Amino acid sequence: MSDRSCEEIAGLLVDYADGQLSPEDSGKVAEHLAGCAACRAIVKGLHKSLELSNIIWQDNLEQAQNLPIPIAQTAAKRHWAGYAAVAAAILVFVTASVVRYLVRGPGEHGPSLAEIERRVIDEGTAAKLLAAAELLAGKSYANGLVKSQYRYIVDNYPHTQAAAKVKTLIQGDT
Amino acid sequence: MGAVCVDEVSKDCAARAEQRTGHRASQSNLLGVFSAELGRLKRIAAGMGLSSADCEDVLQDVSVQALKRAAEFQSRADCLRWLTTVTVNRCLMEHRRQRTFRRRAPEILRRRSAAETHPKPIEEWAIAAEELEIVRETLRQLDGHLLAPMVLSYFCELDSRGIAEILNLNQSTVRGRLREARMILARRLTQRGVEP
Ligand SMILES: [Zn+2]
Repeated sequence: MSDRSCEEIAGLLVDYADGQLSPEDSGKVAEHLAGCAACRAIVKGLHKSLELSNIIWQDNLEQAQNLPIPIAQTAAKRHWAGYAAVAAAILVFVTASVVRYLVRGPGEHGPSLAEIERRVIDEGTAAKLLAAAELLAGKSYANGLVKSQYRYIVDNYPHTQAAAKVKTLIQGDT
Repeated sequence: MGAVCVDEVSKDCAARAEQRTGHRASQSNLLGVFSAELGRLKRIAAGMGLSSADCEDVLQDVSVQALKRAAEFQSRADCLRWLTTVTVNRCLMEHRRQRTFRRRAPEILRRRSAAETHPKPIEEWAIAAEELEIVRETLRQLDGHLLAPMVLSYFCELDSRGIAEILNLNQSTVRGRLREARMILARRLTQRGVEP
């Protein structure tokens, strides 16, 4: 087979090996390969090199998974803990508010439903912010970020359980 | 309350809080996205050939950068694209510093054969080691602009559109680079006298 026809076919070999060609182009390549050992060797090389690359990548991934990444490990462990904290904060607030609402009736100095909704949202947001800060707590490189996150929670959500927890954390530190 | 329900409550709260307060909750959401996507980011870093210690360093850097930029993302998709792009760029830095694919073929094969129930005969093992070493060396020397699409496509299984977005290229450039990278690997394997 001539070098010229090999050059023409070379641009199609990867897509051929990956099964990405139209039936028409695929037929053209197959016809060339039937008479060209050099191009057949390249197609074999395409399959083999990808198979070997995958062995190297997979081995590297297995090694990477054996070594804990501090944030990853903490995040995985605390993922549900974070959600549970959000749910618990909301549950406590909703239960207390609804009991007050039922006992006093609407408009009798208890919080309005709109107020309850606002407070529920605040409890949820503050608890999520706290869970995020806790992911990084104890990592020296993130000390500043964690402190500013704590300040943010106390300043913006002062009446939430998360803010109360932050205050005790800060007091514990000093 | 079941796990799914707790998750839904949390998501709903965050979404409503964001509607009301702008980006207040985005900092925590970003970390949520980061931890949910950590497996995928780790796969990218491993595919790019980083050692486990470098992989750890890179992902820590990315998480801290993510926290600092938390307010800038409009959507989860935005945030994901950003996390992936930054991870790839950090891995490319390590690749340029020749800190990738440093584990040699015999070590990889020893680990694999320890896990196999029927180990290969010695001659087969030697051929496999030679071939694997050629591919490892080629990946190590491959220019970053070819390595990144190769890993994202064949190891992370992204399509050329996804790769184009991450690498800020057009799709035909991505496909061209994929073909170039594959041909370099295939030719290196056939030229070095090893029967593929
Ligand atoms: Zn040919």
